[in-house]
Amino acid sequence: MAAASPSLSFPRDIFAALSPSPFLLAHLSHDSPSTNPSRPNGRAPFEFRKPTINTGSLSHCSGSAVVRLGDTAVVCGVRGEILLASNIPNPPTLPTNLDYDGDDDAENDAAELSNLSLLVPNIELATGASPAHLPGSPPSTLAQSLTSRIRALLYSTQLLRARDLRIIYSPPPSESSGDDESAKEVKAYWALYIDIMFISLDGNAFDVAWAAVVAALRDTLLPSAWWDEDVQNILCSPSVSNARSLKLRGLPMAATFAVFKPTELLSEGEQDEENAEEKAWVLSDPDAFEEGLCKEVVTVVVDGSGGKRRVRRIEKKGGGVVGREVMKGLVRRADERWREWSQMDGLKA
Amino acid sequence: MAPQALLSPLHQADGSATYSANGYSVIGAVNGPVEVSRRDELPEEAAIEVIVRPAAGVGSPRERHLESLLRTTLQHIILTRAHPRTLIQLTLQITSLPDEESAGDGSALSYSSLPLLPPLLTTALLALLSASIPLSTTLAAALVAISATGKIKCAPTAAEMVRAGPGVSSLHVFAFSAGRALVLAESEGDFEFGAWEEACAVAEEACCERVAGMEVDGEAGNGQAFLRGVVEGKVGREMRWRMAV
Repeated sequence: MAAASPSLSFPRDIFAALSPSPFLLAHLSHDSPSTNPSRPNGRAPFEFRKPTINTGSLSHCSGSAVVRLGDTAVVCGVRGEILLASNIPNPPTLPTNLDYDGDDDAENDAAELSNLSLLVPNIELATGASPAHLPGSPPSTLAQSLTSRIRALLYSTQLLRARDLRIIYSPPPSESSGDDESAKEVKAYWALYIDIMFISLDGNAFDVAWAAVVAALRDTLLPSAWWDEDVQNILCSPSVSNARSLKLRGLPMAATFAVFKPTELLSEGEQDEENAEEKAWVLSDPDAFEEGLCKEVVTVVVDGSGGKRRVRRIEKKGGGVVGREVMKGLVRRADERWREWSQMDGLKA
Repeated sequence: MAPQALLSPLHQADGSATYSANGYSVIGAVNGPVEVSRRDELPEEAAIEVIVRPAAGVGSPRERHLESLLRTTLQHIILTRAHPRTLIQLTLQITSLPDEESAGDGSALSYSSLPLLPPLLTTALLALLSASIPLSTTLAAALVAISATGKIKCAPTAAEMVRAGPGVSSLHVFAFSAGRALVLAESEGDFEFGAWEEACAVAEEACCERVAGMEVDGEAGNGQAFLRGVVEGKVGREMRWRMAV
């Protein structure tokens, strides 16, 4: 007779758009024991996306890398520029032994790098990288905040050695000065401009950006440069065989987790501290849809190179679900994730 | 130097506070709930805007990062659903830094934004209290440094950090709510997870009131007790006219 009564169920994508939080909740809280709880994107709560890394893709950079993680894709290019020592108003104090090229990780040259700001990361979100990003506007809070975190991590991990960036001049031995060791001086520094461009952004911006920075720095070849006494300037060799790569200290890698706590979205009367603790899911490597629903975000940077696990950075904000116990599990997961990263082509030792 | 705080030093703002500890001084003002611009309006909750102004110069990406950290933390604390479609605006001006930091001698202080976080958080909370914005809980924050020898020092002064120089292997900031939930944790440096847990316990001790046992009077080192003392002092002064017979 009449047309069939309208169906009361929505298609999947309409459900997700109309009420995202119940949609994610319905996915995570499967009552049937046969199916494991899974996220709308098909991953298990603790499953990361598989990264792909391609290094040396840009021809005009000293080093570059493209890292892709699901639908998040990042290009990172490193360019070296020369900072003349004569342009530095207050030169930093240098270690006495400039020649020494041993493998001491204890050397503290963070002050030299950070005082001169030799590492300059910058993050840009390309037009169309994500629907939330409007083109033509000044750098968003997200971009600036990411830039600041990448910069802080570059300096606090002491990833780069100052001696890789120094350009040293040793004058030819003359009869007047017998001791030529003390006459050595730093004539210039390499300043590394690290530009990170998001081609596409689908969550977990920090992990991908950091992996791209590390892969690009490992790929970086700086031309051999020397001070020429006659032209009173720095000259660089065009030959690739003379160029040298940077020696990085360790391999810190980031893992990001988001905490989905649906009670935040209920009305205040229904909030119950006791139940709220149980009703929270920690999701590894959140995508953009999940990030929009999770207020609490945890980023753990670990370095497992050299056989022992060290934590290099922990960031946690926006909620109180992750305490000391949960954090322990997250650090372990970050460690497992580090092993995955360290097997990748661009990052392998 | 013991931390010092003053509630409502500004008369035009809805709420304000100054706080100084270890050479860092911050003044904060809260306006809200006020009308929100169409673009930032949220249909079900209040929008929160945090503006951090550095001691010198204009804001850089570092300040943007601090702002986003503070905003997400305060979002968790403020009962934003009580004031839908409004704006709560918080402005924090750093008024002085320890000499060591402004000298920029390249220790961890010059690139790390962590030492700034506890004074900013405390000022923000005091200003919100002064503006009578409804909060779900209070919070207290602490800075913890771990030296290369594994010694844990709570609330180190800038001089101590510079003198230690390379001796400081990691810096941590923890913020706890009154219910002892870890609300914010930021750590950087080189450390093992066991050390992080210890630092977390030390910070919890410094932030939260003792659960059991008697209250010790004049417990200055304790974050929550300090907040309580500041607010009690203000309420006491405001209620003087009632007490006077």
